[in-house]
Amino acid sequence: MVLFFYPKNKMSSEISTTVKRNETDRHKKKNWFQILLARPEIGPFGVMLLLFGMLGYFSIPEGQFSINPFTGEGFNALGIRNNFRVIAQLGIVALGAGMLIISGEFDLSIGSMAGFAAGCMAMILKWGFAVIIPYPSFADGFTIEGYRLFEIQSVSPLTAILITLCLTLSFGWFQGWFIVKSGISSFIVTLGGLFFLRGLTEVSYRAFNKKVDQTAGSTTVTDLPDIKNIIEVPGLGEMEREAAKVLPNDQILKILKTAPEATLVKITDQLTYINQKVAVTKTMMQEEKMLQTLQRSLDNAIRSGNEAMQKMLQAKIDAGIDVQAVQAKAVTDLDLAKAYIDTLPTARPVAEFFGGNILQPVFDWLYFTVDWNVNNFGNQFAPGLYACVMIWLIMALFCYIVLSKTQAGNWIYSTGGNLSAARANGVPTNRVKISLFVFTAFCATMFAACQVFEVNTADAAKGNLKELEAIAAAVIGGVVLTGGFGTILGILLGTVIFGIAKEAFFYIPGIDGSFYRVFLGAVLVSAALTNENIRKRIVGSA
Amino acid sequence: MSIERPSIEVRNLVKKFGSFTALNGIDLDVYPGEVHALLGDNGAGKSTLIKALSGIHPPTSGEIKVDGVIVHFQSPREASDAGIGTVYQDLALNPLASVTRNFFLGREIKKGLGPFGLLQMKEMNAITIAEMKKIGIHISNPDQPVGTMSGGQRQTLAIARAIYFGAKILILDEPTSALGQKQQMEVLKTIRTVQKLGNIAIILITHNEIHAQLIADRFTFLSLGEVIGRGIAQELEGDEIKKLMAGGAELGDLKAELAA
Ligand SMILES: Nc1ncnc2c1ncn2[C@@H]1O[C@H](COP(=O)(O)OP(=O)(O)O)[C@@H](O)[C@H]1O
Ligand SMILES: [Mg+2]
Repeated sequence: MVLFFYPKNKMSSEISTTVKRNETDRHKKKNWFQILLARPEIGPFGVMLLLFGMLGYFSIPEGQFSINPFTGEGFNALGIRNNFRVIAQLGIVALGAGMLIISGEFDLSIGSMAGFAAGCMAMILKWGFAVIIPYPSFADGFTIEGYRLFEIQSVSPLTAILITLCLTLSFGWFQGWFIVKSGISSFIVTLGGLFFLRGLTEVSYRAFNKKVDQTAGSTTVTDLPDIKNIIEVPGLGEMEREAAKVLPNDQILKILKTAPEATLVKITDQLTYINQKVAVTKTMMQEEKMLQTLQRSLDNAIRSGNEAMQKMLQAKIDAGIDVQAVQAKAVTDLDLAKAYIDTLPTARPVAEFFGGNILQPVFDWLYFTVDWNVNNFGNQFAPGLYACVMIWLIMALFCYIVLSKTQAGNWIYSTGGNLSAARANGVPTNRVKISLFVFTAFCATMFAACQVFEVNTADAAKGNLKELEAIAAAVIGGVVLTGGFGTILGILLGTVIFGIAKEAFFYIPGIDGSFYRVFLGAVLVSAALTNENIRKRIVGSA
Repeated sequence: MSIERPSIEVRNLVKKFGSFTALNGIDLDVYPGEVHALLGDNGAGKSTLIKALSGIHPPTSGEIKVDGVIVHFQSPREASDAGIGTVYQDLALNPLASVTRNFFLGREIKKGLGPFGLLQMKEMNAITIAEMKKIGIHISNPDQPVGTMSGGQRQTLAIARAIYFGAKILILDEPTSALGQKQQMEVLKTIRTVQKLGNIAIILITHNEIHAQLIADRFTFLSLGEVIGRGIAQELEGDEIKKLMAGGAELGDLKAELAA
C-alpha cells in the first residue's frame, strides 16, 4: 500500500517521463489503396461491377463476339433508359428509408404511402378537389349531407402534388410523433400504416370510381390526359401533342407557318438525316435477308449433295449481294410540321419535370452525331432518360450534403448511434426522428409523382413491396439496421445492385430469370453480416 | 488551503424520493483548481448528489450557489449553461462517429441555416486536436471513430469536451472504474492536467481510495445520505479514509465479526 504514496510532484514527473508512446501510434498509417479498400462501400461496389459485367456480356446477342460490354442489349440506349428508370424509382424511396434506418427507426409504410399518393394525385387530377364537411340532416328523414367548403374543378399538376404532399407529410409526421411519444416500435406502428394506407387507397378508388349501375368501382384511374405533353399550339390553344399531330392537314400546315426559320432549317436537316439513315438500314436489311436465303439454299444443297448447285450458290455468296439501294423518303411539309410540333415546349412544366425526359440533347447528339443511339430500323432509339433519374440524383445530392456535411447529419448519426448520448448533448432526437418520417413520406410522394405523370394512370397496387426493397437496397449498401452507420454513396450502390440484378440475370442463357431473387437474398444476408462485423470492429475494440 | 470563494457551495441539501430520503442535509464546498473526492459506499447518495448539481433531479430543499449566486436548475441544459460539466459513466459518446463529431455533438460549428448549416469540419478538427492536446492526448486522426479509441482516451475526450464548452465545475462519476490499470493512470494524469489549469473545480466520485489519495486535495465522505467526514489530503491517514469510505465502521469491528 505504501508503494503508492508518492509525493504529488514526483508522481506527475514519473508519469510524464515514462509514457513515450501514444495509443494512437498503434494505428498504422495507411496508403490510399488501403484507405480505399477499408471504405465500407467497397463490397457493394464490387458486387455492382460484377452485375454490370454480367449484364453487359450476357446481353451481347448470340453469334457476336465482343470484349466491349457496351455492345450488349443491356447497355444499348434503350437498355440504359429502362434500367436507370427501375434504379431511380427504387432509389428515390431507398434514400428516405436509408436515412431513417441510420437514425435508428424503420418505415414499412413507404410502399403503401406511394400507392396512396399516386391515387390521391391521379384522382385530384381527374375529378378535382373539394373539402366537404359532413353534417346530419333531418329534413327528409335522417341523412348525412355534405357541405362543400370549397372546390377546385380543374387542378394543376403543381396543386395536385402540393395537396397530396399535405396529406402524406401529415401522415408521416403523425407516425413519427406517435412512435416517439408512445415508445412503441416503429416496426409495428408503420406496419399498421402499411395496412391502413393501402386499405384507404383501395376504398377511395372504389368510392370515387363508383358508377350508378355498379356496386363498386375499379381500383384504377385511367384516361388522364398526357399532361406533360400538353402544348400551346399557335392559333389553336392548348392541346395534347399527339392530338395536334392528327389535326386536319391544312391546320397542321398553318402551324408550320409559325415555325421560326432556324428551327425549320434544323428539323429539315434532322428529318433528312433520319430518312437517309432509315433508307440505308433498310437496304442493309434486305441484303442480309437475301444472304440468309442463299445461305439456307446452300445448306440444303450441301445436305442433298447437289454439287453444281452448291458451287453456283457459293459463287453467288462470294460475289456479294448487290440489291438496289432503297431510296430515302423525301421530307414533306407534313413531316416537318409534325416534327415541329414535337419541338414545341410543354405548357405543363411541372408534369414534364416529374414525368418527362431528360438529357434529350445528349441522346439526340448520340443519334445524329455519334451514330450510336440507333435502333434496328435506323430511327433514334431512346429520346433521353426518364425524369425520375434526375429527381433521384437531385435528392441523393441533397441527402448526401445533409447527412455528411451539416449539423442535421451529425444529429441523425448520433440519434441512431447512441440515443441517450445524443440526448445528453442536447440533440433534439425526437425532432430528428419525426423529420425523417416526414422525409420518407416525401420520398414516397416523389416516387408517386414520377409514376403518375410518366404513365398518366394510377392503380391501388402502386408501390407494392417498395418499402422492403428500399430497406434491402439500403442494407446491401452498408446501412446497419440498428442505426448510426451508413452513407448515401452506399445507399446509391445498394440501389443500383438491386435495380440491375433482375436485368443481369434475365440475359444469362439457360437459367431461370427468377434466380435474381435468390442472388439478392444471398447478397442481402452477406451484406448484413459484413455491416455487423464492421460495426462490431468499431464498437467492440475498446 | 485556499482563501478564494468556492466555485460551488452546497448548503443543507435534501433530496427525497417519495418517503425515501436519499440526501439528508448535505454541505459541500469545492474550490477552483482543486480535486474534491466524493467517497462513500454503494447507495450512500453520491450519484443523487451530482444529479442534483447537474440539474437532473431538482433538490427537495437546500441551496446551491455557483460562483456565489444561488441557482435552481430545472434541466441539465441549465446546469451546463451555468458552467457545470458532468461526465457520466457512459460518457455520452457515439462510438460509431468520429472524434471531432463527438467532441462537437449537439454544439457543432456551422455556417448557414439552422440545422442545415454546413459543418466547419476543418475548424472543428483543429479545435479538437488542440483541446485534446491541452490535457495530454495526441490525436493523429480526428476522423477516427470513437469506438476504436481506448477507454482512457474516451474519458479524456469527454472531459476535454466539457471543459471546452465552458465547464468551470467538472463532475466525474467513477471515471476509472471501467478501465484497465494503464488507462486508469492515463485518466488520473488527465485529471491532474485539468487541476493544474487552476480555474476548474473538480468533483471526483470514486470507489478507489488509492486513486483518491493520489489525486484529491479534499475529501467528503457520504454515508446513508449524510456527510460523515471531510478533510484535506495531507491530514487524512490511509486507514481513516478506508474506514470512512466503508461508512464509518471500524475495520477492527469487521475483523471481529468475521472471526465470530
Ligand atoms: N430515482 C430514484 N428514485 C428512488 N430512489 C432512488 C432514486 N435514485 C436513487 N435512489 C436511492 O437513493 C439512494 C442513493 O443512491 P445513489 O445516489 O445512486 O448512491 P451511490 O451513487 O452513492 O451509490 C439509494 O438507496 C437509491 O436506491
Ligand atoms: Mg452511483
